[in-house]
Amino acid sequence: MTTYAFLLDIGRCIGCQACVAACKTGNEVPEGRQYIRIVEQTRGTFPNLRGSFQNLRCYHCADAACVTVCPTGALYKEEGLTRLDREKCSGCTYCVDACPYDVPVLADDGRSSKCDGCAAVVKAGGTPWCVKTCPSHALLYDERPKILAEAHRRAAALKMRYPNAQVYGETEAGGLGVVLVLPDDPMALGLPANPNVPLSLTAWQKALQPASLGLTGLSIAFTGLAAVIARRNHLQEVRTLEARNSTGQPTPEAQETKDQ
Amino acid sequence: MTTQTLPHKRQVLRYRVGPRIIHAMLASSFVLLLVTGLMLVWGPLAPYAAGGGSRLIHRIGAVVFMLIPVAYLLFDRPGARELLWDSFHYDRDDWKWLKQVYRYFLGHAAEMPPQGRLNAGQKLHHAGVVIFSALIVASGLLLWVGKGSFTPNGLALAAMLHDVSMLVLTVLLVGHLYFTFVYNALQGMVKGYIPEREARLEHSKWVDSLPEKEPWIVEEVVESPESAVLSPEF
Repeated sequence: MTTYAFLLDIGRCIGCQACVAACKTGNEVPEGRQYIRIVEQTRGTFPNLRGSFQNLRCYHCADAACVTVCPTGALYKEEGLTRLDREKCSGCTYCVDACPYDVPVLADDGRSSKCDGCAAVVKAGGTPWCVKTCPSHALLYDERPKILAEAHRRAAALKMRYPNAQVYGETEAGGLGVVLVLPDDPMALGLPANPNVPLSLTAWQKALQPASLGLTGLSIAFTGLAAVIARRNHLQEVRTLEARNSTGQPTPEAQETKDQ
Repeated sequence: MTTQTLPHKRQVLRYRVGPRIIHAMLASSFVLLLVTGLMLVWGPLAPYAAGGGSRLIHRIGAVVFMLIPVAYLLFDRPGARELLWDSFHYDRDDWKWLKQVYRYFLGHAAEMPPQGRLNAGQKLHHAGVVIFSALIVASGLLLWVGKGSFTPNGLALAAMLHDVSMLVLTVLLVGHLYFTFVYNALQGMVKGYIPEREARLEHSKWVDSLPEKEPWIVEEVVESPESAVLSPEF
């Protein structure tokens, strides 16, 4: 299956907020929420200052912690991107706690909300809103191998001016669905150097729910069937005992009591 | 169906008011917690949980559930001690009983080894309820109080402990309902008294240990349609 990815070139981002506005209007983002936030960053000490624009948004981790912890399956991976079916969300906020980038937030309707990679737009053959509107080519959307190649090309070009320039997201958290071209160290730009979430319990968690539903269903079916038989057996047993009582024969219990 | 006067009029006090109230607290809060908990984690019910109403109910249910030990302390301290002691102590008859448990499971109580106030199955059931209730309360409190300050692994671990405990408790509940139905045991928990002949059939050692006077054993005539169904010959 083809996986897709975004390219986000921080070296090219001019902080114009066009993607923020396009995303919000295009996706009809819930009130009070925005899926992209742009934060101006200044690094270094005067007079040696450097500036850039941090793009806070879902980076679509391949090993997405939010998908792992989501109990209802509202969050899921598709074509390399992390989708959210808000209809299935119970508002448990596990994803809010698990995300290493603090991306998902509960919207006013009590359901989680985050970028879903413009699933509807892309499926209709379009380009994600943020990419379409970016005036400085800081954003691209394509098949992941092409995006990676372009990211490395751009990082290599940046290195001439910024020696720490690098690609971020090729392997982090299993490989991000948003490949970043950074002009500096991730830490300096406020990104976790190692966002991998050690979810050693992943397999367990995945098996738990079907196992629980299966076991509960099985126990109900099993006892439901056995109940009919056992109830009949018990009624029969009580009848036999009562018949023996009325003919004056001692019941085993009465016999025992006498023996003691 | 005719209501008939049973030949065996003697009734045995099975559950006093204290344990009955506590049982009702446990049953109602458990069902509430099961439904509102499922809403949070099971896809088909999840949409009804968004908004937080069910989570509020879940926490109210949790408080009632956690108040049960307090209720035991206030209303039935000897009962709590007895229940805990009984649930974790098994005598020779209990082991013999457990070896033949399949017979009891299929509705044959008559020739089982004699049992005390709780049969060995009930003891295991109660022990399971005590242990997994403690686990579910501990993990639930962690999720309630510690939420937001967890590592993702810590969160997953607490949630998993909570889920597994609930799975065990739910399966225990299915078994509980099963035996209640097979041995027509609901009336004891509702009225407090059960017919002596039923008590002797399943808990002969216990009935023998009871003083032969009120309120433990009463000579009252009970018109009981349920019992009439149970033994239609009379």
